Amino acid sequence: MNNRHLLRGLFLIAISLAFGIGALQYRIGHFDRAGPGLFPLMVSCLLLLIGIATIVRSRYLERLPMEFNYRNIAIILASLCGFALVSEHVKMIAGIVFMVFCASFAGGHFSVSRNIKIAVGLVAIALVFQKLLGFNLPLY
Amino acid sequence: MDILHNLAFGFEHALTWQNLLFCAIGCVVGTLVGLLPGLGPLATISILLPLTYSIPTGGALIMLAGIYYGAQYGDSVSAITMKIPHASSIVACIDGYKMTLKGQTGLALFTAGVSSFIGGTVAIIVLSFFAPMLGEVAFLFGPADYCALMLVGFVCVSFVTTGNLLDGLSMCLIGVLLGQVGTDVNSGQERYTLGFPFLAEGIGLVSIALGCFGIAEITKNLDNKDERTPFNGKIHLLPTWPEFKRIIPSALRGSVVGSFLGILPGGGPTIAQFAAYAIDKKVSKYKDEIGTGVIEGVAGQAAADEAAARTSFIPLMSIGIPENAVMALMMAAFIIKGIQPGPNMIAGHPDLFWGLVASMWVGNVFLVVLNVPLVRYWLSVFKIPYAVLFPSILFFCCIGTFSVNNNLDDIFITALFGLIGYIFLRLDLDPAPLLLGFILGPMLEENFRRALLISRGSFEIFVTRPISATLLAIIAAFVAWQVAAFVAQSRRAKAARAGLPGADAVGAADAGAPQV
Repeated sequence: MNNRHLLRGLFLIAISLAFGIGALQYRIGHFDRAGPGLFPLMVSCLLLLIGIATIVRSRYLERLPMEFNYRNIAIILASLCGFALVSEHVKMIAGIVFMVFCASFAGGHFSVSRNIKIAVGLVAIALVFQKLLGFNLPLY
Repeated sequence: MDILHNLAFGFEHALTWQNLLFCAIGCVVGTLVGLLPGLGPLATISILLPLTYSIPTGGALIMLAGIYYGAQYGDSVSAITMKIPHASSIVACIDGYKMTLKGQTGLALFTAGVSSFIGGTVAIIVLSFFAPMLGEVAFLFGPADYCALMLVGFVCVSFVTTGNLLDGLSMCLIGVLLGQVGTDVNSGQERYTLGFPFLAEGIGLVSIALGCFGIAEITKNLDNKDERTPFNGKIHLLPTWPEFKRIIPSALRGSVVGSFLGILPGGGPTIAQFAAYAIDKKVSKYKDEIGTGVIEGVAGQAAADEAAARTSFIPLMSIGIPENAVMALMMAAFIIKGIQPGPNMIAGHPDLFWGLVASMWVGNVFLVVLNVPLVRYWLSVFKIPYAVLFPSILFFCCIGTFSVNNNLDDIFITALFGLIGYIFLRLDLDPAPLLLGFILGPMLEENFRRALLISRGSFEIFVTRPISATLLAIIAAFVAWQVAAFVAQSRRAKAARAGLPGADAVGAADAGAPQV
């Protein structure tokens, strides 16, 4: 995990293969009558070339370490998915409260009273959206 | 006189009290959100896009445009007062921040505001002349020409936003591939939907924009953990008459440069700022002082910024091809409201087109009379701690994603793109070209297939048509130049390494300049 340029190339190749192999499942057709698979296949091939070029180039460039902080991104994604799940199964107000509390774990210091204030504020904004701007929010 | 008539018609639409209100709201909210750390125009527009869903079409477009200028101005304010380097106002950090260090914050902000006004006014004149003209030209374009034009856009945007053709182009292509998800319009075949019914209509643009620009940015800021000290200095806005006179020539130069660069594919505010700043450094009366914090260093780039922000609407509205990522987002917003930008927009919706043009000027006036005097109050946004701010931004991301289709499943897609956007950030890949690729991808495929259908499968059509041949030649020349630059550079680095065994690290560090 210590060469960002190399990882970038590998990442691009992985994406191009995923889409390219997917494209082979569809009819390719001919150039004058292109099937649904032709265009994605061509674009994937181009991306594959760029990925290979990136790897080749990485040999000529200084190695840069890649840093990846799993904690914050995991908390943020969990609070988003939690918002969707709670809103779907309970109601959106509960979803907002869950999201505020869950997300604030990423912020460093956790404070219940501050979280309650933020949640109340956001619920109020959501109510304004629903009542005044005509958003169709399943709040309660 | 046609133009005056058209503009008068536009002002008739822009000056109704509802539209004035929408314009004012857009400018103010755009400025406020644009001020927030880490949120440039792209993130601001995508977060505020849902606000426009329930507004009538004309008002919504006016409000969006207002949000865009507001975000642009808010960005330059945070650059001048706190040197927060946003992608879209790097140049304002140079002289603007130096002026703040000298205690001339108010003067710098006033200069930026007035220059923006001058730049915007010049750009609107250019816009009302050129947009209808270019619209006529657009009728000459065939499918092959459209393909070539989009490819030129990809190459230019890749180079301008990332400074590196390979990285930018790879992001464009990933965007094109993401645009393939959904039902193929020609054959009805579902592609890459993995069996999920909600993917049959394709990935939502709002999910991608909010994921890559909103959520990934928030996480990056949380990772960095740097608390910014809010700006507490005094702001004295009004300049003296000699100071005011120094603004004008620089701002006019910047407006012309910005208006021109805004029209070109891949152009837009960022490159216009750099160009205007460079020109001021060459020809300005005070060229020796630029860089130390003088009016000219702020005025030229602010005018170019604003002018380019407006003229970059020209290719979108007259040809129907957005030239940079912000315009791609605008195009998506137009389409959400049921308007297809393109050669037919001016004829088909003259009220919307001229109303939007007129409202651009109205937005300019709002920026000068509302945002510049009140800027000290806007700056109090920075006193809100990030711990309060980021749950609120998350909330807006959720509401924004949900209200596109009133579908909670879309939030999972936004979360997924948050993760992808975060990986992009960590790999040092700029997601802005991805957005352009995503919007243009389906259009590119359609025109490509149509061109080949016309030519019965022969690629000759791309080189025999004069327009597409010229555009493709430009791309070829550009790529050749990039490859040559990279080869020359690595050779020089190698020579340096051979000559000086210890110079290894130096040569590698030098390789930062032009790369393929």
